[in-house]
Amino acid sequence: MSYLKDNIEGAQYLLMGNEAIVRGALEAGVKVAAGYPGTPSSEIIESLSKVGKEMDIYVEWSVNEKVAMEVAAAGSFAGLRSLCAMKQNGVNVASDFLLHLAASGTRGGMVLIPCDDPGALSSVNEGESRYFAKLVEIPLLEPGDFQEAKDMTKWAFELSEELRQIVMLRSVTRMSHASGNVEFGKLPASHVHAEFKYDGFILDPMEGIMISAPVGYRHAQQQEKLKKARELFEDCAFNTYNGPDKPELLIITSSACTLYSREAISMLGLKDRVGLLKLGTTWPLPPKLLKKYLSMTDRIMIVEEVLPFLEENVKILAAEMAPEIGVKTFYGKNDGKIPMVGELNPDIVVNALAQTLGIDYKAMPDEYANKAQGVAMAGTPSRELTFCPGCPHRASFWSIHNALELDGRKGFVCGDIGCYTMAILPCGFSSLKTSHSMGSGSGLAGGFGKLGGFGFDQPILSVCGDSTFFHTGIPALVNAVHHESNFTMVILDNSGTAMTGFQPHPGLKVNALGDEAPSIDIAEVCRSMGARVEVRDPFDLEETRKTINQLIEDKQGVKVLILRQICALSPEKKAEKKYDMTIDEKICLGENCGCNRVCTRIFRCPGLVWDKEKEVTRIDEVICTGCGVCADICPAGAIKKSSVLKEVA
Amino acid sequence: MGNIQLSKDPYNIIITGVGGQGNVMASRILANMLVKKGYCVTIGESFGASQRGGSVMSHLRVSRISSWSPQIPKGGADVVIALEPVEAIRVLKDYGNPEVKILSNTRAISPVGVIAGEQDYPSMEEIRKSAKDLSSSAWFIDATDEGLRLGNPILGNIIMLGALSGVGVLPMDREGFKGVISRSIPEDKIDINLKAYVMGEQMVKV
Amino acid sequence: MSVFGPNELLEDVFQKDLCIGCGACTYLCPYFRSYRGKTAMLFPCTLDQGRCWAYCPKVEVDLDDLSQRFFHRPYDKDPLGFHGSVKISRAGKQVGTGSFQAGGTVSALMSFALNKGYIDAAVLTDKDGILPVPRLVTDPDDVLKCSSSKYTASPTLSALNQAIKEGHSRIGVVATPCQALAIAKMRSNPMSDEDFTDPVGLVVGLFCTWAIDFRAFDAFISKRIDVNKVTKVDIPPPPAEIMEIYTDSGKVEIPLDEIRKLVPNSCSYCIDMSAEFSDISVGVLEGRPDMNTIIVRTKRGQNIVDEAEKEGFLVLDNLPKENLEHLMWAANNKKKRALIKAKEDGLINTSQEDKRSYLRVRPETVEEIIS
Repeated sequence: MSYLKDNIEGAQYLLMGNEAIVRGALEAGVKVAAGYPGTPSSEIIESLSKVGKEMDIYVEWSVNEKVAMEVAAAGSFAGLRSLCAMKQNGVNVASDFLLHLAASGTRGGMVLIPCDDPGALSSVNEGESRYFAKLVEIPLLEPGDFQEAKDMTKWAFELSEELRQIVMLRSVTRMSHASGNVEFGKLPASHVHAEFKYDGFILDPMEGIMISAPVGYRHAQQQEKLKKARELFEDCAFNTYNGPDKPELLIITSSACTLYSREAISMLGLKDRVGLLKLGTTWPLPPKLLKKYLSMTDRIMIVEEVLPFLEENVKILAAEMAPEIGVKTFYGKNDGKIPMVGELNPDIVVNALAQTLGIDYKAMPDEYANKAQGVAMAGTPSRELTFCPGCPHRASFWSIHNALELDGRKGFVCGDIGCYTMAILPCGFSSLKTSHSMGSGSGLAGGFGKLGGFGFDQPILSVCGDSTFFHTGIPALVNAVHHESNFTMVILDNSGTAMTGFQPHPGLKVNALGDEAPSIDIAEVCRSMGARVEVRDPFDLEETRKTINQLIEDKQGVKVLILRQICALSPEKKAEKKYDMTIDEKICLGENCGCNRVCTRIFRCPGLVWDKEKEVTRIDEVICTGCGVCADICPAGAIKKSSVLKEVA
Repeated sequence: MGNIQLSKDPYNIIITGVGGQGNVMASRILANMLVKKGYCVTIGESFGASQRGGSVMSHLRVSRISSWSPQIPKGGADVVIALEPVEAIRVLKDYGNPEVKILSNTRAISPVGVIAGEQDYPSMEEIRKSAKDLSSSAWFIDATDEGLRLGNPILGNIIMLGALSGVGVLPMDREGFKGVISRSIPEDKIDINLKAYVMGEQMVKV
Repeated sequence: MSVFGPNELLEDVFQKDLCIGCGACTYLCPYFRSYRGKTAMLFPCTLDQGRCWAYCPKVEVDLDDLSQRFFHRPYDKDPLGFHGSVKISRAGKQVGTGSFQAGGTVSALMSFALNKGYIDAAVLTDKDGILPVPRLVTDPDDVLKCSSSKYTASPTLSALNQAIKEGHSRIGVVATPCQALAIAKMRSNPMSDEDFTDPVGLVVGLFCTWAIDFRAFDAFISKRIDVNKVTKVDIPPPPAEIMEIYTDSGKVEIPLDEIRKLVPNSCSYCIDMSAEFSDISVGVLEGRPDMNTIIVRTKRGQNIVDEAEKEGFLVLDNLPKENLEHLMWAANNKKKRALIKAKEDGLINTSQEDKRSYLRVRPETVEEIIS
C-alpha cells in the first residue's frame, strides 16, 4: 500500500525527491504517465504505477523515452494532465519529438521530468538536460528541496496549461534520490473525460490540428509563450532570497546546490555577509528579479553543477543591464572557483566561499585528518564494482571471453548501457571494448561488420540487454541484417530491466500496472528479420562457449545469440538457491593445485572467498546464491553442488 | 529513550556498508522513526550501479529546523553505523572527527580484490584499534551472526538499529520502531524484527 | 635446469611464433586450451613454474640430456636418431580394414598393443572434416576409425593429458616428431615430482617433414571447395609433389608448393624427421604405396614389433638399400636446414643465463651435422 495517495492534508512524510514529484503530480491530478527506466529517475513511474489503478491513472513503461513522450503527449492532446520521466540521456532520445512538440504546443498540462546525474553516480555521462529547455524554447523549473519538488511539480502542470506548452522540471540525483520532509496537500476529486478535438480553426491551439507548421507562425507563438513564462516567473514564489540587503557577495543558485550553498553559508557563519538568491525558474530567467538582486552587490558567485548554464544566462542579463546596475565581478565556472566536472557538495561551496572571501577553513583537525588518512590508506581495501553473486552476466562473459581467446583473432565486444557495461572491468573479464548509448553496441558492431573489404578480420560481438533490445537494439539489428553485416549480437536476456529495478518491458507478460500483457518474443523478432538465432542458458558454460565460437566462425551475416537466465536479484529468484555449494577441502589444493586459484583470482564471484590460513577456497554462505556455475569452473572438481530439494506440492 | 534531545542541530548519522546489505532500508526505517518524532530528516544516498559490490553510504541529517544538504560536510559525522567493519574505517577518512561515535558490525565482506588475493583485508584487531583511535567511542556488534541465528542475516541491520537506540544519542524507541516497520513489512515478520531490535539494544549495554 | 612457467612460455614460444599446437601444455590447468589448431591462453597465470613450459617441445629442449635418459648416450649426428632395425612393413591379416595410409602399420601396432594389454589406452588423432581431433581410445576396434593420415598440426597431446588425468598408466601415443619430443620431456619428470611414474607405455612416432597450419589450410581450401564435403586428404609419396583432396564429387589436386606456404614458421626449426624420441617410428616408403618404413628404437618397441609379427598383426620385410640412403639423405637435410636457421636466429645453445634457448645440443654435434 503506497503512502503517496494518503489523503491527509498537512501531514508530514519522509519522501524521496522522486516520490515528492509523484505526490505533486497526484495533487495536480495527473492522468497519463510514461517513461523509460533510468537511474535516478526510475522511482517516478515506478511509484505512479503502484497507485495508478486505484487513482485512475494510465501508467506505462514505454519501449524508449521518445515513445514515452509521445504517449504522454497524446494524453495532453486529449485534454489530460500528463507527465513523462526519464534520466537525462532519455531527453536526447526523445529530443526529436520534443523539438516538434514544443512547436505544436500542448493542451492538458504536460510536464517533462528529466533527472540529471552530475558526477555520473550511476551513469556513463554527466550530460545536461537544462540546455534542451533553452534549445527547444520551453520553460525550465528546478526544485531546491523536497517540499518544492512536490509543490513545484503541481504548479508545473498549471503553468503548462496556462502557456499551452510542455514544461521541463529538472531534477538531479541528489534531489531524486535524497529524501526529506514533505507536507502533503489535497488530492483532487478525479473525474475527467478525454477527447482529442480537431474540428476548430486549423491554427486554434485547443481545437485545431497539432503540428509544428506553419513553422513561422508556430515558432512565433512558441516565443510568445516563453515571453509570458518570463513575466510569470518575475513573481514566482519558487524564486527566493535570504540574506542582508547589501551583501558582500551574492550567491545565485538552483536545484540541489541550494542546499549546499545554504549549508556552506551556515558553516562559515556568513549569513550577515552573503546573500543567497535561489532560483526555481531557471529558463527563461526573469530579468526584473535578476536586476533587483544583482543591484545589491558587485560580487556574484554562481553555484551550479557541471556546465555554466545559469552562469552564462545571468551574465548575458548582467551585460545588458550593466549601464543601470554597474559592472559585476563573477565567480563560478569561468574563474575555476566552481568545478565544471562532477557533482557539488557543501565542502566545495565552502571552499569556494572561503577562498573568495579570504577565510581560513579546515574540515578536520590536521592531526586527526592525517591519522584517518593513514589508517584508511593502509587498512581499507578498495571495493571494485563487480557483478552480483549468481549474476548470469559473469557466466555469459566467461564464455564470451573464452570463446574469443580460443578463436584468437583479436575479437572484441561492443557494449552499451546496463549492468553488463561493467564487463569493461575484470568482473566481466575485460571483454567489453566499447560502450556508449543504449543499443549503440549493436550499431557499432554492424559498422565494424562492414569493414571486411578493408582487411578487417576481427570477430565482432555486441551485447545488449533484453530491455535495451526493445529500446534501440531493434533498429541496429534491422540495419545490420539489411546491409548483410557480419557480427554476432548477444542478447543478455535476464527477464527485466534489471539494473534499474526490474521494470517490465515488451518481452514480458506483464505491464507497469501489473496487468497481464502480450509479450513479444525476442527470438521470433530476430528470426523474422532473417538473422540466425540461437538460444542458450549462460549457466551452461561449455555449450554457450561452443555456440559463440560457431557463431563467430559463421561469416554469413548477422547472428543472434540469446543468453537467457533470470537476474540473481530478481524478485522471482531472490533468496532461492538452486544448489547448495560446498568445497571439498581434500580436493582443493589451493596454491598447490596448479589452477592458480582460478575461482577466486579470475572468476571472482563474491560468494567465493580465499581462506589465507587454510589455503583453500571457501563458500560464503551469506553471499552465495547457489547458481552452481563455479562448480564447472574448478578444474579439480573441488567445488561441489548439490540440488536443493524442494517439496513438490 | 524516546525523549532524548539532539546534542546538536543538525545531528549527522552515516550508515555505511556494501551494496546489497540493506543500507537503504536501515536508513529509511531510522529516518521515519525520527520524522514521527517531529524531526526534519534529510537522507542522501547513492544507489544504482554503485550497489553492485561497491561501498554504499547513507547520510542522515536530523534537525528540528529544516532540510539540510543530503551530503554531510567533511569531518561532520556524529555517529557512524557500519554494516561492514572496513567501511567504518573508510568513512572516517572523509567524515570522521575526534568526537564521532562508531557502531560496527563484525561480519566482513571481502572486496573482490581481497578474494582475488590482490589486496589484504585487515584483521578485526586492527579495525578495532583504528576505530578506537579515531572516535570517542566504538562498539563492535556481531549483528550478522546474531541475525543468522535469528534466521536471516539481513536482520543484522535491525540489530544495528537497536544498538544505535541503545547507545542513547537519538530519540528512538521500540514503539516508534514498531510503528514504522508495521507499514513496510509483512505482519508475520514484525515479531522477529522487534526481537532483533531489542537484541541490538541489549548488546551495547552489556 | 631451472623450470619456468606460463609467462615464459608466452615469451619463449608464443611470442616467437614457435608454437606448433601439439597440445602438451593444454588441459593441465584452466588456462591453456587448444582450439582449431591453435593453442590459446585464456587468462593470465602468475605461477613461476609450470608443466606448460616444462613439457613444451619448443623451448629448452636438451637433446643430449633426453638422449642420455632414453637411449643412454648423448645425441649424435645420425640423421635417423638412435635406432635399431629399419625395415618395411604393413598391417597383417589380424588387423581389420581401415582407410590406412600406405601399409597401415601404425594402426596395426596400436590395435595389437591395446589388444594384448601392452597399453591401456591409445592417444590417436581422429578428424572432423579436415580438422584433426585428438582421440583417447580404449577399444582396439576404435583404433581403425582414426587410421587416415592428417597433414595439419594437431593438439594430440591434449588427449594424453586427459588420459593421465583419467588414471591410465600405460598409455600408447601416436605422435609426430614434435609431439614425441614433448612426451620425452614429460616422461623425464621435469617438475621433479616425488611420486612421478611414467604413464606412457608406447610411443609410435610418425615421419614428418612439416605440418600444415590448420587455420591457414582451412582458409586456403575454403576458397576452392566446400570444406564440409571433404572425405579424404592425401599426399602421395614423392615424386608426386601434389596434395589430393577428395570430395563427394571427385578429386582436387593442389601443387605442394602452394601447400608449403601454409607450413608454420615453427616447422622450419624442427631437426627431427623420423620422430627420434619414440619406441617405433613409421613412415611412407617411396615407390611402394602398400608398405611403410618402420624404425625400431627401443627394447619395448622391438618386443611389440616381434610379437605383432608373430601374431599376424604385422608383416615385415627388408628395406632396400637405396630407400634407406634416400631416407637418411632427406632426414639429414631437414636437420641441417633447421640447425642452420636456428643458429642464425639465435635460438640454439644461447650462453647467457637469462636468455633461454629453443634447443640445446653439444656444439660439436651441431657442427658435424651442418658441415
